[in-house]
Amino acid sequence: MKSPLSNSPKALPSQSGMARGLFFVCLGAMFILAGWWAYGTVKTATSPQATPTMAPAAPASNAARLARPVLSSPQNPTQLDQGALVYWGVCMACHGDRGQGLTNEWRAVYGEDQNCWTSKCHTANHPPDGFIIPRDNLAHAVAGAGNLTNYTTAQQLYDYIVVTMPWWKPGSLTPDRAWAVTAYILKLNKSLPQGVVLNASDASAIPVHQLVAASQNDQAGEIVLAALLLLVASVMILQTISKRKAVVAVSGQAIPQTEPAAPRSRPNFLLHLHPPTIPAAQARWSYTLGTGGLAIFLFLVLLVTGILEMFYYIPQPDQATISIQTIARLVPYGGLIRNLHYWGAQALVLVLFIHVLRISWTGAYKKPRRFNYLLGLALLVLTLALDFTGYILRWDQGTSWALVVGTNLIKTIPGLGNQLYEFMVGGVQLGSAALIRFYSWHTFGLTLAMLAGVIWHIFRIRRDGGIAVPPAALRRSEERISRVELVRREMLLMTGAAILLVLLSIFWPAPITPPLTNTSVDLTNARAPWFFLWVQQLLKFGNPFLLGIVVPLVILAILVLIPYVFPKPADSELGRWFPKGGRMVQILIAILTLLLIGLTIWAILPGPG
Amino acid sequence: MNKPNLPRRDFLKLTLDSLLAFGGLLGIAGLIRFLSYKTEPPQPTEFDLGLAENYALDSKTVLPQVPAVLIHNDSGFTALSLICTHLGCTVKVQPAGFACPCHGSQFNSNGYPVKGPATVSLKKLRVEHTSDGKLTLYMK
Repeated sequence: MKSPLSNSPKALPSQSGMARGLFFVCLGAMFILAGWWAYGTVKTATSPQATPTMAPAAPASNAARLARPVLSSPQNPTQLDQGALVYWGVCMACHGDRGQGLTNEWRAVYGEDQNCWTSKCHTANHPPDGFIIPRDNLAHAVAGAGNLTNYTTAQQLYDYIVVTMPWWKPGSLTPDRAWAVTAYILKLNKSLPQGVVLNASDASAIPVHQLVAASQNDQAGEIVLAALLLLVASVMILQTISKRKAVVAVSGQAIPQTEPAAPRSRPNFLLHLHPPTIPAAQARWSYTLGTGGLAIFLFLVLLVTGILEMFYYIPQPDQATISIQTIARLVPYGGLIRNLHYWGAQALVLVLFIHVLRISWTGAYKKPRRFNYLLGLALLVLTLALDFTGYILRWDQGTSWALVVGTNLIKTIPGLGNQLYEFMVGGVQLGSAALIRFYSWHTFGLTLAMLAGVIWHIFRIRRDGGIAVPPAALRRSEERISRVELVRREMLLMTGAAILLVLLSIFWPAPITPPLTNTSVDLTNARAPWFFLWVQQLLKFGNPFLLGIVVPLVILAILVLIPYVFPKPADSELGRWFPKGGRMVQILIAILTLLLIGLTIWAILPGPG
Repeated sequence: MNKPNLPRRDFLKLTLDSLLAFGGLLGIAGLIRFLSYKTEPPQPTEFDLGLAENYALDSKTVLPQVPAVLIHNDSGFTALSLICTHLGCTVKVQPAGFACPCHGSQFNSNGYPVKGPATVSLKKLRVEHTSDGKLTLYMK
């Protein structure tokens, strides 16, 4: 016979205290290991990048300072190696071994002649005999704080170098050599992110004046996060399959609860948000697909990561892309945050789409849930608006057409168009006013509305008696599950979604292209964001007002009218897929779905002309 | 009586809680690292003031970019920081010395505090006069 005491989880024998102690010792060791590991990562990240050295640190003889640079990998020279060689052979004569000499600004201040010969700094010979090296710490050099003020991005610096340098034969540097020397100058200025090979594709997004204190490599952190989430998920699954009765009541008769909820007589806040028990039918995966909970989780992820991005994002046309690049490349874990925000947003559109399908194909829109259905549609529209405004905030060449088309579409509305356009864009053309408006809508206006709507939506679910199932008398099974079980399912779903998001973030980072400027127009990439591809395809057929505004509004109107116009399934038919009473709506939604998917695929397919 | 001392359910709950705590700690550490990135380059610690002959004998030149005042007298070049030692406002140069607009501290022409609330002298900055006739001001 076991004594009841030793079985109770509340009263553990002293030996179990020892087990617990051992457990915590192990945990402590884990923490120390993690700390050591993290410190190691930081140290590696901050340790200087393998760089070809132009000259050993001062004091050094002129001969040493003029010596051929030591390459970091002589067999297979890196871009920095090539840059060092080009700099040594071509640039050093005027610009000094540490980037300390002669620039246009320098000349403006010191009134120096082109070659610095009249002032007897240099003679006409080549190194090592012909030069006195310019003194260190001169103002307006090519390296050091406060220099290169005419250039914001690596692209601008490259553009100048490739056209005007060297002075005796401008334009003689090949693009490769010019990129290499640009990279080397950035390195001299400590602003070259680690592992970056400069080229035209991202040089516009690499700032010249941003010090790279510790180059970032988030991957270790991301892997730890993914592993941790996996561990949490597996423990939760173990908990679920370890002896537990999910069903707590059958036909009104409570069955003895094995749930260890006893010590806490009042539920915590998370539990409090849920009813004490719900019909098991309301929480079947195969019925709900978990899309509602998933949408809330994704919204929370977007909220948190969005707030974090706001700490670094600068809503100004010439800074926006660069600040995003800063988040993605330089800020510790910034890449992870941005990728989570990006993938969260993409996933939310998809999840909401499935959510709408679920609601309409199960007939869950009928009274008393009709109002919540409409509220949900409003949230869907808000989400698309948030996605579009967020997309625009990148302000890079990839988004330029979406911005132009999206705003010009507004102009086509008869009568109101121009006024609405100016209201949206804050002027007659797309510029900083437009960006700050999109930013304010995205980070505040729409988000606030969304937050209020989400809370209301959740509240209405409970007010309307939970997820749509037949009334108790018509239910096939009277099984109920406790909120502890419900919360566990929700948590499992969220953990799974989080793992997926982190994996997506690790392997497919969010895109960013060069900044949008008045001169640079990307003609190759004129594709709308994927969730508006169907609109883009529609717009190819003709009248933009009709196809770009009226058609989407008609689709929305159809969705709104569904609970009013069409026959509804009977109460007994609720709680399962495709009830007979809702056939017309199901077919209508299926046609709409096929239409949207078809148009999207059509837009993706390479067209004939 | 051979039941494990720590029931499996308790063990799992304990594991889950500690994993969450661990994750939370890592998250906080990550957040601290995320927020401690500096986008601005550090303040320069030295300033090139150009040729010494541009600054006449017995002159006081305010260098607003530092901010400091460059004093040229018989003993050579010296510089005083114009940052009030009380709470960091920029002090105004006056004929008799310096006055802080924020809380009324006054300093004499040597930077010594003559009226509170500041109790510490204005910081003296090192000025280097190189052989080629140029001046460099060092913040440290």
